[in-house]
Amino acid sequence: MVYKRRKYHYGDTHLKKKWRTKRRTKDLDQIDEDLKPQNAEKLLNQETDLDKPGSAQFYCIHCARYFINNTALEDHFRTKVHKRRLKALELDPYTIEDSERAAGHGSFNFPEKRKIETQPHKDDEVPSKRIKQ
Amino acid sequence: MRIETCYFCSSRIYPGHGIQFVRNDCKIFKFCRSKCHAAFKKKKNPRKVKWTKAYRKTVGKELAIDPSFEFEKRRNIPIKYNREKWTKAVEAMKKVEKIRQKRQNNYIMQRLRKGREIETERDIKEVQRDLSLIRAPAAGMKERKAAELAMEEARESDHDEEMAEIEDGGEVML
Repeated sequence: MVYKRRKYHYGDTHLKKKWRTKRRTKDLDQIDEDLKPQNAEKLLNQETDLDKPGSAQFYCIHCARYFINNTALEDHFRTKVHKRRLKALELDPYTIEDSERAAGHGSFNFPEKRKIETQPHKDDEVPSKRIKQ
Repeated sequence: MRIETCYFCSSRIYPGHGIQFVRNDCKIFKFCRSKCHAAFKKKKNPRKVKWTKAYRKTVGKELAIDPSFEFEKRRNIPIKYNREKWTKAVEAMKKVEKIRQKRQNNYIMQRLRKGREIETERDIKEVQRDLSLIRAPAAGMKERKAAELAMEEARESDHDEEMAEIEDGGEVML
């Protein structure tokens, strides 16, 4: 007699944990809110917070991530993850109102495309790397 | 009884069904079933997932912009109860629904009609290109040749007469 296999989800604990709502990272519509100039300025010039990586001095707004130093941040700008995120942010984010419009409560509005660029580079250099003249 | 709409697939959620997620900025996301909730957890974009209403409307498969959609809407304006108004509203709802269904169906039919046109165009092209498969190019060749020969002969006889005339003319010149 052949029994049906019982364990279909063996070894996917890390996946389950990753996608739990308690580990949820910022959504695209929240990031879109962050991209507004008044919010962006605050996020880019945060006060030193020793609990955050790099004391919260090296933050990528589009990916909502802290980096330990400027080189790590600059390297991140050249990665695929970051470029993919920029691309995802190009369209207006999907909201709860959009879902209602799609259901026929009010006319649907089509998402618009816009241009999104990486945040300006940090100008302050690390003193140890400066070449002595 | 309030019938909610699913955040992901925009379907109706009846009481006692689905699950909701309250994000840390107080926004409430409602889901009709675990399929939609799982997709949300994986951060899927409903506009890019083919089985959602949002996809079908953004891609133009369904009627998206129409005044008939403006009736059913959350308005957040309190209205005092009035029996007459209530009965009228119920009747209006039925009528609006009928019109909306008609328009949506019409839109889909219009969309499909274009495919039919393209199909016929393609068929005509195919027939013209591959006509040799049905009718051999050599079919009726003998008849055609015979006809051509007859034509040529007729032309030659005309030509000879003309030549004779010219020759006669030549003699006169001499």
